[in-house]
Amino acid sequence: MDDYTIGVLSNIGVVSFVALSAYLLLLTGEISFGQQAFFAIGAYAAGIATALWGWPLAPALAWGAVSAGCAAVLVGLPTLRLHGLYFAIATLAFAEMVRILFELFRYQVEIDGEPVGPDGTEGFRNIRYIFDHNIDAVQFLLLIYALLAAALLGFVLLERSRTGVAFRMIGEDETLAGLQGISVARHKVLAAGIAGALAGVGGGLYAHLTTYVEPRIFDVMLGVHSLAYGLIGGLGTAFGPLLGVLIDIGLLESIRVLAGYRMIIFGGIVALLLIVRPRGLLDERTVHGIGDLWRRTRPRRRQPGPGP
Amino acid sequence: MVDLVQNTIDGLMIGSSYGLLALGFTLIFGVMRRLNLSYGPSVMIGGYLGTVVYLQFGAGPLVVAAAVVVGAAVAGIYVERLCFAPMKAGAAIASMVSSFAIWMQLEQAAILVLPRHTYPFPPLATGAPLELGPFSIRIDHLVMLCSALGLAAAVQLVLYRTRFGLALRAIIGNPVAAHLVGIDVGAAMPLAFAGASAVGGVAGFLVLAVDQQVTPMFGMWVTLKGLIAMMIGGLGSVPGAVLGGLLLGVIEAQSQWYFGPQIRDLVAYFVLFAVLAIRPRGLVGGTFDASMPQKA
Repeated sequence: MDDYTIGVLSNIGVVSFVALSAYLLLLTGEISFGQQAFFAIGAYAAGIATALWGWPLAPALAWGAVSAGCAAVLVGLPTLRLHGLYFAIATLAFAEMVRILFELFRYQVEIDGEPVGPDGTEGFRNIRYIFDHNIDAVQFLLLIYALLAAALLGFVLLERSRTGVAFRMIGEDETLAGLQGISVARHKVLAAGIAGALAGVGGGLYAHLTTYVEPRIFDVMLGVHSLAYGLIGGLGTAFGPLLGVLIDIGLLESIRVLAGYRMIIFGGIVALLLIVRPRGLLDERTVHGIGDLWRRTRPRRRQPGPGP
Repeated sequence: MVDLVQNTIDGLMIGSSYGLLALGFTLIFGVMRRLNLSYGPSVMIGGYLGTVVYLQFGAGPLVVAAAVVVGAAVAGIYVERLCFAPMKAGAAIASMVSSFAIWMQLEQAAILVLPRHTYPFPPLATGAPLELGPFSIRIDHLVMLCSALGLAAAVQLVLYRTRFGLALRAIIGNPVAAHLVGIDVGAAMPLAFAGASAVGGVAGFLVLAVDQQVTPMFGMWVTLKGLIAMMIGGLGSVPGAVLGGLLLGVIEAQSQWYFGPQIRDLVAYFVLFAVLAIRPRGLVGGTFDASMPQKA
């Protein structure tokens, strides 16, 4: 693989974490314009841990995830009773506050004779962990995809668990879910926390991948893109948001011939796609259809319990 | 004290255009019950059309204003046809994401037509500012305030004194019931969309004429300012939109003066977050419920 391919693949992997984060909230029925804030918190926290405190990468990434998850829970509480547009705008306001706070945030330590650390709008340079430890681009790519695979496995297990079912029920009808005895508030805060932590892992990986972060990367555009990925790829499965990222970054950014017209083509395709498939390519119906097909083509096995 | 009053005056002037932006936004949201993220970019397309007319033909302010309004309305209809009209009832998130995709498209289209980062925009009115004791008021700010308040009053009149306004309010209240009593909902929606985008276009023209430049980022600016002002004031009412805009203008002017531009934006977003967390219906309190239907 050449460097360019590795770079594109790494980007796809990292952005997938934010897309999954927005997707998890969509499952519970909430639109968030603010998941980029937790991506940013994860990036800064993990970057500070390795570059300034000299931590190894694994605990630094975990620290990034925990910080982002805690921040998400803290925002989840006051926004608990907000829905629809109100929730979306509240998350937007929060994310913009986080971005501006990072523009004001300065925390530098002298390392090898030069200052290292976040420097306001100048950003946070020299997050050099993977160079200092001779981790090459392919190894880091593998790390990104290993963590992404773990996250996807988590989603697959979640969808089969009571908690996952509760999330989707709340997404369908919150009042009804509450009447069925599901603790709506607890599940929503839980979903917000997991979503924040997921974005935080992505942020930590991003900071170490690029070795440099600055506040303006984490603007509204990133948030709305992450939300759009789930809608494009489909809301039926956690592979949907990944497909969305793949279509946007993988397909369109890679085809250099389209430069200049990329957004005209992409925007048009997405708008038309959403008319035909308002819940994305891999929507619930398609996913269930594939599941049925899979079960039918497998060798027949006598199963206990009532038939169809 | 002089600074405080002067900032308030400046804030009210700028805030009147925010109020107008919020007004266009709240009309679209009221009729559609869906968020049109392409609202700002539509206004930006109008601004670009105005700049083209100005650069190519040296047109005066009134012609440029007409071009901006027409451009914004046409772009608004394009968005409505592509992102809102063909969507099934209930596919609110799909409409919103679709309008975001078209935002990207409109922005790229603007950059393809005029590739430089900024272009000049004709000034609204030149002349020495009015002096009132220790305070001064810019002429173009005054024109902005009067036009914005005048247009907001006109929209209120249309909504409450005409048959079309009655039809729109019926649709805002309950689209199904409106259809049942014989209102042509399908025809009213593009009209309302175009009208709301045109209101945004007027606001866009006023802001651009005061700034005397236009950039592709203007679309995002309009969407964000419109959203904040609309949510602070409360969805679904003309006075709410205007009040939210004026308040946002004053907050921004004060915090910019005392703390600089970064803190200004921080304060604006903090006020927005606090209003939503404490009083989600906004300060005035809108007339309708804004929880978008979730199911596709």
